Amino acid sequence: MDAFTGEAFDVADPTDWLNTPLACLMPVEQSLRCHVCKDFFTSPMLTSCNHTFCSLCIRRCLNADRKCPLCRKEDSESKLRGNWAMREAVEAFVKARDDILKFAKAPPPPPAVEKSPKRKAVKMDDAEGDFQESKRPRRSTRSAGARVKAQEEDMTEHLEEGQETEDEYIPEPEDGLVACPICSKRMKMEQVDRHLDTSCPGPDAPQPPTPISGRRGGNNFASSSRTPSSRSADPPPARLPAISYSMLKDTALRKKLAELGISSAGSRQVMEKRHQEWVTIWNANCDSAFPKTRQELLHDLNVWEKTMGSRAPTSSKAAITGAQIKEKDFDGGAWAAKHDSSFKDLIANARRTRELAKQKASEAAKEEEEKERQKNDGAAAAAAAAAPVPAAVPVAFYDYRSMDPPPSSQPDVPEAFGVNTSSTDPPPSSQPDILQLRSSQSTPGPSARRS
Amino acid sequence: MSFATKRLGKELSKINNSLPPGIELVSADNFEEWFLDIRVLDNNPLYANQVYRLKFKFSAQYPIEPPEVVFVKLANRPIPIHPHIYSNGIICLDLLGQQGWSPVQNVESICMSLQSMLTGNNKDERPAGDEEFVRGNRLRPKDIDFYYHDNNV
Repeated sequence: MDAFTGEAFDVADPTDWLNTPLACLMPVEQSLRCHVCKDFFTSPMLTSCNHTFCSLCIRRCLNADRKCPLCRKEDSESKLRGNWAMREAVEAFVKARDDILKFAKAPPPPPAVEKSPKRKAVKMDDAEGDFQESKRPRRSTRSAGARVKAQEEDMTEHLEEGQETEDEYIPEPEDGLVACPICSKRMKMEQVDRHLDTSCPGPDAPQPPTPISGRRGGNNFASSSRTPSSRSADPPPARLPAISYSMLKDTALRKKLAELGISSAGSRQVMEKRHQEWVTIWNANCDSAFPKTRQELLHDLNVWEKTMGSRAPTSSKAAITGAQIKEKDFDGGAWAAKHDSSFKDLIANARRTRELAKQKASEAAKEEEEKERQKNDGAAAAAAAAAPVPAAVPVAFYDYRSMDPPPSSQPDVPEAFGVNTSSTDPPPSSQPDILQLRSSQSTPGPSARRS
Repeated sequence: MSFATKRLGKELSKINNSLPPGIELVSADNFEEWFLDIRVLDNNPLYANQVYRLKFKFSAQYPIEPPEVVFVKLANRPIPIHPHIYSNGIICLDLLGQQGWSPVQNVESICMSLQSMLTGNNKDERPAGDEEFVRGNRLRPKDIDFYYHDNNV
């Protein structure tokens, strides 16, 4: 969590304006920030419900949910449109922010400044500040002076830039032609569109240095005086289409990843997520005024892979429909009607598998019984072989006798016992035995035999 | 640094500067788990003079994915009584589920929603099946299949 202690408390935030005389700028700044990442808009895009988000943010959201994060209206990536006015507003504000904030946070200027509100006067005051008695320590006075100088330089730079662009447009020859907005070649008005589409060679005049691509710091925004059309002449990279993963076999998906030049390692799920992330960052990059290089995007993908690749949320169709039925306004009746046949199939399926399971279970039970019986038989035989067991005899006897009608067999019982136990007086304990035998007699023959 | 960290950094700096009444940051020592205290602002007798502790857990997917938010029970921090709050602190609120969640929500807006969810309640009861759920539940809140049926919340 080193990032936590290092950067977290130094984040620029709309609340920076609170407790300054320019607190009214807080809502201004808020309106220039994305509701998803809370940062200034990066490649702002308009949804079809007219909300604006960073390109990357809204693409991620739509991937996860297919709804506008603000109004929950359904939308899709293909309907997003760039919000260029917002892009320029953000660029301009971000460029001015530090200076305005410094200005707002600076202690109230000494009264002398009031007399001469112009910049030059401030500078002179500051220069004199060295020998004037000052409430602030010298160091801060100096840095304040340096700051003003820097600001001034900045301002003149702006002015010069502005003048330059204005100068370009002054010598407009009256030849009834117009200049191409990119290469400045002069042609008939009707030809411009076609020229732009086909033969425009790109900007000819020496361009202002391209800003470092990728905007890491807040100040990497290009100067707002340059129009978007004057950016690099490379044709904009083509957007990647979303693919329906369920239509692709593993090998086809692997091939697709390889074609895109990204890793095709990992499980199916990981590959799908990686492809989706790549499409997302690639397409978001296409919306950028200052697109990153492919190498930088690959780096971003790598970072994503390390931080959350394996844990990214599944946005499979199953997950989405599963979630749908949990919603408050879910219409159970309609759902049941719509999916009636699938429900019936499922029920039939469940019944079938249950039957199968039952059959299997009973077969298994029979087998088990069979084994048990064999074992028992074996044990009984062994026991019989080991010692003559009197109990075995009556069972056999009664089995045999059970064919006779019970009344006639009844008087035989004591006799039988008398014979088998070889005692003339039946022991008192034999009474229950008889009952038992009688009950076994009343059960149907086969099962009695089996026990 | 993941986008979750970036976004949480911004939220934290805002929270450190200002929070709406009745919401206080207790601790945010990392970008995974924060604690906040909330109390109800009106004098609803069910919640008067009580402060409740909330635990927020953020995944690397935040704010695309909702954070996990539960009430925590401490000696001086009870679990508020509410028909959608289980006595183990788990909250059944569609805003916190994958369905009702939207990335424009944030820690502050969740706290405010919970404040208003409490304020608007006048039932002194726990959800149906609370005891059984509290006894049997081993799932994390995000893995529980809630069915959001109450349109009055």
